[in-house]
Amino acid sequence: MRLVRDLARRKLRSTLTITGIAIGIMALVVFGSMANKMNALIGGGSKYYAGKDIVSIGSMFSGSFQPLSLSDVDKIEKLDGVAAATPGIDMMLDDSTTATMGTPEMISGSVPGGDKGLETFPMTASTGRLLIASDSGNVTVLGSDLARKLNAKVGGKVALRNVDFTVVGILAPTLTAPDKDAEVPLGAAQQLFVKTLPPLIQSKVNAADIATSITVYPKAGVDAETLKTRLQSALGGSYTVMDGKDFDAMLGSISTIFSLVLTGVAMLSLLVGGLSTVNTMAMAVAERTREIGIKRAIGASRWRIRREIVLESAVIGLIAGLIGLAIGAAMTTLFNDLGRGSGNVLFELTLGTALTAVAFATGLGAVAGFVPAWHASRLDPVTALRYE
Amino acid sequence: MALLEGRNLRKTYRLSKRNTVEALKGVEVSIEAGEMVAIMGPSGSGKSTLMHILGLLHSPDPNHGPAPELRLGGEDVASLSDNARTKIRARRMGFVFQDFNLVPTLTALENVMLACDYAGVGGKQAKQAGIEALGLVGLADRADHKPSELSGGEQQRVAIARALVNKPEIILADEPTGNLDSERSAEVLALLREFNREHGQTIVLVTHDAEVGEACDRIIRMRDGRIRDYGHRIDSPVAAYASVAVPA
Repeated sequence: MRLVRDLARRKLRSTLTITGIAIGIMALVVFGSMANKMNALIGGGSKYYAGKDIVSIGSMFSGSFQPLSLSDVDKIEKLDGVAAATPGIDMMLDDSTTATMGTPEMISGSVPGGDKGLETFPMTASTGRLLIASDSGNVTVLGSDLARKLNAKVGGKVALRNVDFTVVGILAPTLTAPDKDAEVPLGAAQQLFVKTLPPLIQSKVNAADIATSITVYPKAGVDAETLKTRLQSALGGSYTVMDGKDFDAMLGSISTIFSLVLTGVAMLSLLVGGLSTVNTMAMAVAERTREIGIKRAIGASRWRIRREIVLESAVIGLIAGLIGLAIGAAMTTLFNDLGRGSGNVLFELTLGTALTAVAFATGLGAVAGFVPAWHASRLDPVTALRYE
Repeated sequence: MALLEGRNLRKTYRLSKRNTVEALKGVEVSIEAGEMVAIMGPSGSGKSTLMHILGLLHSPDPNHGPAPELRLGGEDVASLSDNARTKIRARRMGFVFQDFNLVPTLTALENVMLACDYAGVGGKQAKQAGIEALGLVGLADRADHKPSELSGGEQQRVAIARALVNKPEIILADEPTGNLDSERSAEVLALLREFNREHGQTIVLVTHDAEVGEACDRIIRMRDGRIRDYGHRIDSPVAAYASVAVPA
């Protein structure tokens, strides 16, 4: 295109300007992908916790808690508005897990079918099968990321807390917490959990009776928030009831802050790239003063001249955006591949992010050209023609 | 009716806070269709300024004297907006400047087609007109060359092709042979004369070169912002009238 010829006039300068914006776009793409992943993780959690209530003693997030008894399950099921209540046991896979970005690896014990079919969060097996009610003993269904990290295959064995489990299924990716879970029958989880308690408490507790949380599904027409209040008053103050809104309140702000900080950093670097483009276009206009004079003299309107400059600087933005996107995409792919082995796939480059990045770069380029374009259009043809 | 006529044309330029230049002090001029007129005079005589006003690049000053008049083909163009003047320049006028004035990143053909573009003519029609115009100046085979690949004389001929491509009512040339050697000058001059004689193209040019002046139908001589001599032949009644109007 003719525009590209004008850019090629000053190859070094064009290259530097394009590089400036490209770096900003690359940052936007990489950080944006990280934010996407974070939002998917938290969004997945939000989706899961919506419409149900989780009962526990103390909170898993605040550290120490007491186990619940299965008799609590019976008590809850009898309450008005409860469609189903099912016990669960959650514990870290590895006590020494260092903090990773994203969710930690967990062992999750449950009663298959305890939800009475009310669970709406989609979980399917990509190989093998899901847990069924008749499963007992040490069998497990692994989340996709954990399975990859442990190099597990259906029919093989994995060690969970030094106990061998047979893998009967591997979940399809959910893009959120279950990808790092090992799902086991409640009984097996109870055995593992009891071993984590201090010896004094271990002797006092009946392993077959404990749960770390009870998931409560409301009847149709009853909303989870109302049920939460009812549960809270029925069970008393030592019990904690959490609903979807609590989860959102806890983690939603983390997600927002994360996105804002990351995007802010990327925007800042783009501002620098944008200003560099303004400078480049101003220099281009100054250098082409005579040319602009000629064009105006032979009948180019002021609007035409403005359009030429803005288009040229938009093309700078577009090229930079595409380059930045390409490098950013390469980086996220690389980081994901490097992290996949340890289960840390932290970047999700969506089509939306890619299109936004390129559109933003092009828009930035165009806007950067506005002021130089305006100046160019105001040049007096005669004076411009005589410019040395 | 004259093709282009003006009366009470004044122009003062402000160079800085205290420094103004009265380039034109009140000029009356009339160009007939089909004429080839030269405007000559020493530096500072106002010849370029007159050219710029006739070419609608600048508007004549409305103040400090009787209202200026300027008519192109009978239409009043004395106080048009910049946009309106630009449109007329694009569609009804052609320009040739002293310093080659081609866009360096465009080929000869693209440079010529630029004039079509600004006049609202595009696509195949523009390309055809462009090739035709280049043919008229003898450069059809150099259509794809960039200005850097053309000699000075060739560049000037491309500029003439560009000035002609929209079949304008008038062509204005500011020192078209100024930067050329005598041989190339003669070539360019011959081309302009050919268009004037054989196609009736009205041409007004500003020049220092006496030979160029001699090749024209008449020479308007200027000094100190006024016309001293309209160049009409003595036997024309217009000349007798005009010489009365010229201040002593």
